[in-house]
Parts: sequence; structure tokens; C-alpha cells
Amino acid sequence: MTTLIVIDQAPYGSWSGREALDMAFSLAAFDQPVSLLFCDAGVNWLRQGQQATELGQKTVEKNLAAAPMFGVEAILADGPACQRYGLDDSNLLAGVTRVEAVEPIIARHTDVLFAG
Amino acid sequence: MSSTALSYTLVITGAPWASQAPQTALEFARALLAAGHRLDRVFLYGDGIHLASALATPPSDEPNWPRQWAEFLAAHQVPAVACIASTLRRGLVNETEQARYELPASNLLAPFEIAGLGEWVEGRLKTDRTVYFHGSGA
Amino acid sequence: MTDTPNTHTLHLLNKAPEHSRFARCLQSLQPGDSLVLMENAVLALANSGLSLPEPCYALQADVRARGLSTLNGRHTLIDYQELVQLTADNPRIISW
Repeated sequence: MTTLIVIDQAPYGSWSGREALDMAFSLAAFDQPVSLLFCDAGVNWLRQGQQATELGQKTVEKNLAAAPMFGVEAILADGPACQRYGLDDSNLLAGVTRVEAVEPIIARHTDVLFAG
Repeated sequence: MSSTALSYTLVITGAPWASQAPQTALEFARALLAAGHRLDRVFLYGDGIHLASALATPPSDEPNWPRQWAEFLAAHQVPAVACIASTLRRGLVNETEQARYELPASNLLAPFEIAGLGEWVEGRLKTDRTVYFHGSGA
Repeated sequence: MTDTPNTHTLHLLNKAPEHSRFARCLQSLQPGDSLVLMENAVLALANSGLSLPEPCYALQADVRARGLSTLNGRHTLIDYQELVQLTADNPRIISW
């Protein structure tokens, strides 16, 4: 019974993606299987080379790097959105799996939720 | 059609006045109790924590969503928890957190309480249904 | 690891038709799923360019508030009690 947490909001412009990640880490901390799906503008979380010091924020790349350590099962990315935003093997974070379409991923998880 | 009584966890992530979420959730909560189901707990997350502010003071001819929720929770003895990480960031604290962080005031509306995401995890495991009420979207 | 749910899904959609999650929700509907339009999503009833799936429920309070109750369509108006019943009948619920 893996829970799928969907992040469709762009990074930095709001806090909702980070709060979605907190939910994922918290499930993992309680030994509840969880995966992350980044779709639409949310795929921009997954770009290499983010530098957020001028915004006074930590890079979300750093937040996300902790995901495997916390026991998050998979980090999935919306393939068509990656293509729209110029994300490919050369600039996508390591450990991310691109999927051809998000609908089958949503359909095969029992629990699917957004953080906001 | 199922007629058995079920237990529910409601999660509100949309803020009052920025979204309809608290209002929709309140009508839903009233209807579920009327149908004989049990409301196990309410969890406020993200911007939804603003519902637990004791200081919201809308004009007198407008509904006061935090107060309506507080009255509903008290009347039906439903536990309601605002996520601590969400509340501290947004300036919503109880007396314990006020003392811990040496803040000038506390503003958590009773009977709301402050606790961690573990409350949400437990609610999902223990109850038959977890229903989310999100904002209208940025 | 994933599991194939053996039940249909109740989709609770509260976003306006222009929100990206609106289209995402409609694309994610599987045969046998039910859709509930609530809050801003009920505006879809007034948008003749949209084809809505069946069964499609719309929350009456939201429809009335927006002056859309005279619209004809294949949607079914429901109150909060009926919304609760739908959530009781469907273990798998996604709030969009």
C-alpha cells in the first residue's frame, strides 16, 4: 500500500512543495511506504544546479536529496512536463525516474494525495 | 450503498478567506455526523492552520470560520490538531510554544491543539476514510 | 512497489477549469470512477467547451451560489449528505 504524494507546484514560489515533502518524510518515518510524483510545473524541483542563496532559501534539491535516506521508495517525474521544461538526462537530478504518463501511476497507487 | 457507520479523518489545507476549504469541510463534517458516522479527528496543515487563529476578526456581518469551527469541535468533542511545523512558520502558537520560543503572545484558538504530522499518519491508519479539503489553488 | 486498487475512485475536484489540476483530474478518471465538482470546479457546468464524464455530481450549494442551478446537463446535483454518502461508498478518494 504505497502512498503517492503528488507535487505539481513549482519550487520556491510557494512553500507547498516543501510541505508535501514533509508529509512524505513523515510517512516514511512511521514505516509507511511512500513515493513522490512530480508533475506539471512541479518537475522544476528536479533540475540540477539550483542556487537559491539569493532568495534566502535552501535549495529544494537539498531537501530532495534526503528522500532516499528517509526511505522514500521512488521519485517519479512527469515525462511530458520534463520535455516541456527542458529536463532530460543531462540536467535531471540523479535517482529520478521519468514516466511516460502520470495517469497510470496515479491509477495504480491505492492512496494518492496532494499536500495542498 | 453502505449504511455502516465509518470513522473519518478530515484534513484541511486551505486557509479561511483565501479559500472555501474550511467552509466546505465544516458542512461536510456536520453532514457526516448527521449520517451517523464518527469524526475521529481534524488535522490542519499548511495554510489550513490559519483556521485555528484566535485573532481572526472579520466584520460582524461576515462569518467567523475559526469560531464556527471551534464551536462545532467543542459541541461534538472532536479533537482538532494543527501541524506544529506549519503553525510555527506562520505565527500561530499556543502557550507552550510561546514559552519555548520566548514569544510575546500566543494565539491558538481552543479547542484546537498543536502537534506533529504523526497525528495525521495515525489518523490515516486508524480511520476508515481520510478526506482532504484543499485551497482553490495558486 | 504499487498495488492495483480493486475499487473505483471518487474524485473530489474543487479547482476552476483553467487550473492545471482540473485537466489532470479529468485525464485521470478510469472507467467506473465518479467525479464530484465542488467550489470553483462547478464553473465547468457553464463552460460549454468542456465535456464532462459520467457520472458527474455537482455540489448544489456551490452551483446555486454561482447562479448555475438552471443549467441543464447530465450532472446530478448533490447536497453535503449525499457527498458524505459518496465518500462512504468509495474507499478510494482523491481530493484534487
